[in-house]
Amino acid sequence: MAVTTSAALADGLRAIVGAAHLREGGVPVDGVLPRWSAAPETIEQAALLLALAQDARLTVVPRGGGTALELGHPPARVDLVLETRRLDAVLEYQPEDLTVTVQAGCTAGALSAQLAARGQILPLDPPGWAGRSLGGIAATHASGPLRQRYGTMRDLLLGVRFAQADGVLTWGGAKVVKSVSGYDVPKLMVGALGTLGVLLELTLRLHPAPDHESTWLASFRTPAHVQECVAALLDSTVQPNRIELLDARVLAACGLPASATALAVSIGTVEPAVRAQEGLVKALVQRARGTVETMGASFWRTYDRALAGFEGVTLRIGTVPARLADTLASVHAVLPEAAMAGSAGLGALQALTGHAEAPALQAALDRLREGVGDVGGSVIVERAPRAVRERLDPWGPVPEPALAAMRAIKTEFDPRGVLNAGRFVGGI
Amino acid sequence: MALSASVVAGLQRLLGPAGVVLTPEGRLTYESDMLTLYKAAPDAVALPMTTNEVQVIVRLCRDARVPIVPRGSGTGLIGGATAPLGGVMVSMTRMTQILEVDFPNRCATVQPGLINLWLTNAVRDRGWFFAPDPSSQMVSSIGGNVATNAGGPHCLKYGITTNHVLGLEIVTGTGDVVRVGGKASERAGYDLTGVMVGNEGTFGLVTAITVRLLHLPEAVKTALASFASVVEASEAVSAIIAAGIIPAALEMLDDAMIGAVNAAVGKVYPDGAGAVLLIELDGPRAEVEAQAERVAAICRERQALMVTVARDEAERALLWKGRKEAAGAVGRITAAYLLQDAVVPRSRLPQIMREMVAISKRHNLLFANVFHAGDGNLHPLICYDDRKPGELERAQQANEELLHACIALGGTVSGEHGIGMDKAKNLPLQYAEADLNFMYRLRRVFDPDGLMNPAKLLPSHPACGEGFRPSRPTLPAGTWV
Repeated sequence: MAVTTSAALADGLRAIVGAAHLREGGVPVDGVLPRWSAAPETIEQAALLLALAQDARLTVVPRGGGTALELGHPPARVDLVLETRRLDAVLEYQPEDLTVTVQAGCTAGALSAQLAARGQILPLDPPGWAGRSLGGIAATHASGPLRQRYGTMRDLLLGVRFAQADGVLTWGGAKVVKSVSGYDVPKLMVGALGTLGVLLELTLRLHPAPDHESTWLASFRTPAHVQECVAALLDSTVQPNRIELLDARVLAACGLPASATALAVSIGTVEPAVRAQEGLVKALVQRARGTVETMGASFWRTYDRALAGFEGVTLRIGTVPARLADTLASVHAVLPEAAMAGSAGLGALQALTGHAEAPALQAALDRLREGVGDVGGSVIVERAPRAVRERLDPWGPVPEPALAAMRAIKTEFDPRGVLNAGRFVGGI
Repeated sequence: MALSASVVAGLQRLLGPAGVVLTPEGRLTYESDMLTLYKAAPDAVALPMTTNEVQVIVRLCRDARVPIVPRGSGTGLIGGATAPLGGVMVSMTRMTQILEVDFPNRCATVQPGLINLWLTNAVRDRGWFFAPDPSSQMVSSIGGNVATNAGGPHCLKYGITTNHVLGLEIVTGTGDVVRVGGKASERAGYDLTGVMVGNEGTFGLVTAITVRLLHLPEAVKTALASFASVVEASEAVSAIIAAGIIPAALEMLDDAMIGAVNAAVGKVYPDGAGAVLLIELDGPRAEVEAQAERVAAICRERQALMVTVARDEAERALLWKGRKEAAGAVGRITAAYLLQDAVVPRSRLPQIMREMVAISKRHNLLFANVFHAGDGNLHPLICYDDRKPGELERAQQANEELLHACIALGGTVSGEHGIGMDKAKNLPLQYAEADLNFMYRLRRVFDPDGLMNPAKLLPSHPACGEGFRPSRPTLPAGTWV
């Protein structure tokens, strides 16, 4: 049960995807040059690649848009990069049902263009979303400002086709908006970093695009005032699309006066309802002693570019909305140069800092993780130089026995450690 | 199979005499859920009050290789809370506390036996509610809702139970107390919370649940539109969704149900209509006003016979009264019925309703419909007379035909009731062997001994058995040296 030579293995891979779509080497994954990179044209080819990889004991890294390859433990070894870029078709768009089935390599931007023609949206907008693959957004559970209203991939993924580590094509979920037929396999795949299967097709719930949308930027003197305003918004009948935090550094990156901490609030619905809620939003901001400015339609593009433009270290902080001010204070205490942004109404924040040495970052992580443990939150190193991540745990602790259950799931479905081996929580 | 004396003694020691039901007449109360086709009493019923007690029960049963069946209020519709292999039923009716309400973080933590509506009742004064609203919400438990991933009329806008569960404490089949998720928005690792919602007790027994609370909307508007037939009403439903309006609820009743409801609770719906749509919009007042006008216009374009909008809370309550009493009113038209829960893509509603009329005629059976039209989630009651020989069989045949038609249109076996004993055999219609096998193996991770609610959810099928491996893709010739 072993392929005798590297050359024979390359021939096998080539026989599956064709000579034009197998490369020796390829783009490094987190600093590691892969032995091969293969770009299958069909999901059957993807499945065959995995079947061969498992038999030959190769390690496989799935690659979508290539924007989140620094998430997780650095790979020790990368034998094969399975690129989904040619699997980019929109397979079945049913505008009347508000559902779409796409191949995993389809980017959120490409899909969005098709949906816009029918007045619909897939409300997933993590930083740099337009160039990110939908499979990648699912595998990394990436989210953006719109999660305030629409949730995340977890809430929008109805069905998923994936190839297991042994190449068996498998489907979970359904293609309709409501289904409880069997276990919720799509939930297992969201955020699993491709460690249980390579995502190949996704069926997604869509939403109608709002008729009209307005955005306001509310500036506050202190984080405590920001938190007060967030609490007031949440405890009101306002239905915002986004309640996004921007600290002074993120404001500056957006080309805005960097004098304060701000909230960007948007409301999208029929025009009279936007206007009616505008008054309430402004009143709540003023009650928290903030000042309000109406932003143009391009604001969210600017914000997206500004976040995607930060280099260095990104931490994803999962906390609760009532700890917004505390979290801001803790981050600024341990990472004085960090910029902060994120979904204030949900406590899904990110800290962006240009440079950090491993020991300093470890100390910061210890402190921040202490502050979210009791609410089941986490502080994940979403991006950092490999040299830094090698010396710390990018995921943070997962308490037992939940971690044991996760290990047992991984062992059941990928016993040989083919898929993104060692990169997930607890070294899964 | 009777329980061993040591298991019985262990349960009694743990829970006291009031916490264990052993008498035949006592156990009979627990022989079925609301789907009485499946009846099998457990050997004992345990009534724990704490997570620790649940864990001890699971370990006791595990050591003795005794099946464990969880039970909430017993209002399920799938034969889930019944004990076909005997064993110990664990009833959660003494675990009904609200452990914490955290308004600033918009969530609450409750014990599994808490009645769904009690949670909303506890937070409504402060302007909040718990969104999942199965028709049974006055009696069904939140633990049961989590086990079956229950839906309800307002899930059209708000999502089903899983969209509202933030964290769980569960005693798995390995006897461990596993805490997953929590109040926070993000966490590292697999989404075990998401995987566990809807497991129907086959992974373990949920002992605490953290759920999201939502703020009550500023305005609610409820309208009733009547149509000549279910097909026209279905076309209106598809048109509303296609217009980009997601009402909070969009329910349909057909003529058989209208007649039954009117006979039971007074004339709430227009006689002579072939179908009515109950349409509820909620949200900011100006949005609701604008959408209500739009919805009314769409209904008129689609040949509505009449469109009325409730003017006040009393009128609104009256329109809903008919819907809520529908299940009880069925007794007026039939002694027995089968209940479907399949879903079709909502644009295919007109097509499936036509098909349903044809199936009903072919088998000479009455179908009464009351369902979540906006989701495409069908709930036809297939009426039969169990005193007439062969009629149950005909109803079952009609049921199967309709289910096949739904799957052929791209639908799913169950939209909100779950699988249990009743629908397990239908899963292979929807899933290939590899898909079933994946689910089976997932189950085994949490329940290695096969003791957690056995004979439920997965079918008796080779792919759901030990040693089965789905066929792998065949590598091209010459790949191997």
